[in-house]
Amino acid sequence: MGRGNRAAGTAGEMAALKFLKGKGYRILATNARTIFGEIDIVAKKDDFTIFVEVKSRTTSSLGPPYLSITKNKERHITRNALCYLKKHKAIESPWRIDIVSVKLDYNYQVEYIELFENAVEDNN
Amino acid sequence: MLLKTIIRGGTIVVAKIYSACVIGIDACEVTVEMDTAGGLPGINIIGLPDTAIRESRDRIKAAIKNSGFPFPTRKITINLAPADIKKEGASFDLPIALSVLLSEGSIERESLNDYIFCAELSLDGRLKPIKGALPIAMALKKLGKNKFVLPLENAKEASVVKGVEIYPVVTLKDVVNFINKKITIKPHESDIELTIKRNSKYRVDFSDVKGQEHVKRGLEIAASGLHNVLLIGPPGSGKSMLAKRLPTILSEMTIDESLETSKIHSVAGLLSPNRGLTATRPFRSPHHTISDSALVGGGTNPIPGEISLAHNGVLFLDELPEFKRNVLEVLRLPLEEGSVTIARVANRLTYPSKFMLVAAMNPCPCGYFTDSKHECHCSPFQIQNYLSKISGPLLDRIDIHLEVPRLKFEHLTDKRRGEPSEEIRKRVDKTRSIQAKRYKNDTMHFNAHLESKELEKYCILDKEGEELLKLAILELGISARAYDKILKVARTIADLDGKDIIESHHISEAISYRSLDRNLWG
Repeated sequence: MGRGNRAAGTAGEMAALKFLKGKGYRILATNARTIFGEIDIVAKKDDFTIFVEVKSRTTSSLGPPYLSITKNKERHITRNALCYLKKHKAIESPWRIDIVSVKLDYNYQVEYIELFENAVEDNN
Repeated sequence: MLLKTIIRGGTIVVAKIYSACVIGIDACEVTVEMDTAGGLPGINIIGLPDTAIRESRDRIKAAIKNSGFPFPTRKITINLAPADIKKEGASFDLPIALSVLLSEGSIERESLNDYIFCAELSLDGRLKPIKGALPIAMALKKLGKNKFVLPLENAKEASVVKGVEIYPVVTLKDVVNFINKKITIKPHESDIELTIKRNSKYRVDFSDVKGQEHVKRGLEIAASGLHNVLLIGPPGSGKSMLAKRLPTILSEMTIDESLETSKIHSVAGLLSPNRGLTATRPFRSPHHTISDSALVGGGTNPIPGEISLAHNGVLFLDELPEFKRNVLEVLRLPLEEGSVTIARVANRLTYPSKFMLVAAMNPCPCGYFTDSKHECHCSPFQIQNYLSKISGPLLDRIDIHLEVPRLKFEHLTDKRRGEPSEEIRKRVDKTRSIQAKRYKNDTMHFNAHLESKELEKYCILDKEGEELLKLAILELGISARAYDKILKVARTIADLDGKDIIESHHISEAISYRSLDRNLWG
């Protein structure tokens, strides 16, 4: 298992970057660090600051990649995003969180790639 | 409708749409305020919403998308004002959806100040019927509005209210197009008198009942003076059948009565979309396992109980001794007052509950004590126990006890039909108008509501009658309580007879309706 999980992640993120650019996303940062952790991709499109979480998998035995984004993970991403916005003094601007789910084969070639816009909602 | 909008960066930040919610059987205005802000997109509903309203955000989202409108990717806060009243039910779906559409610019900004919107949304964008459309329509003028947009199914009931425009709509898209003046919707109109006339037919009739002339006469007297009745008889003697036909001989509902009863039925969601109003006197027969709060109304967010659903009609309690004692005891106050007040921590509500009580029971646990053809197996102790389940104070409020005998074979095979309800009702109406004339300066309207002071004034006996009553008290062991009842019932019998003075045969008939006092059994 340990073999190449990180490699898979990197391959997925590269694929996602290409994919998002094709969709008209302007990439602001990749692997942006905050005090809580890391944001895979920060992009801009139509006034929205978009935080993208990329989830890659090489096996489908646990279901599609996006299923591994749990509530806890969502909270984590949200906190990271707020940190980023605060740092860039953009807390008032509209923003959202997207998820890119990348399925890779064992040679890290993209099998399919999916984008979920506005995947995390604040429904308290 | 939007009262005020603040424009920030081209999008509407605050929007207001007006709606209403039902409290008891009245309505109060609710303002749906919407604010959009930066932040993680999502909808947040505040203002004491219940679970149904909190879930509405998922319905609204689906309905808006499926109606072909964009859903805003913004943080939306919805406030239902006034904030201190608990809001319940799904009828805020439509106003919330409209406020969201307003922020997205799908609705052209235009004054919607005279509109009230109420509807539940289905996921495909259709409007679903709501509860309480009639009370809301009736309160509209008081709220200073004159236009009411609601689901098609509720149009009939709401449109009987004069002076307000009722717009029936089928889908969310139609509502938006209507506001944007892309389509016109004709206000639904209906004539209240015609609606009542069309709905005032009963499905049952007294002519269906064969034999039992003595019981029918008793019910006629009860209907005339609005006396509560207890039917006692063996199983299968037709107690329920007779009781079910009692509403058909009560005088026809007036417009006010019909509106009042319909209001309660509207709140309870019992009005059918085809009929509009309840114009037949309701007949409610709850099962004997009913709880006290289901009978008189209750719950954390109070809903009307069976006694209020029977308002202006008949409440039938079959198998009276089987009801739980506490359930029967809660009936006492509403029977006196004609209304029931439900007090909860949050609020207190009053529901009207003027009904005629008809109860039915077997004479003993096995049911056959008064049956000549069937042997009774019950011991005197058992019978005593059975009868004692009905408390004195409740029995006190029942003027007429009717014994319903087993049907005779020749009556069963008789091809002739009994007297139709309409004929009986004519006599009842006549008796009621006599009472109305007599009590025009008093607070009560019917003989059943006479107090002992008024009994002296209005129940004047002839000499023979007085003698007979004295004899009855001495010989039959009739109590003071029963004495009053006999006088009241005799008064009604005399009215039916068209006599001012109560005569001895009126008294003797009235005494015959006190079988439980005469210690015939038990």
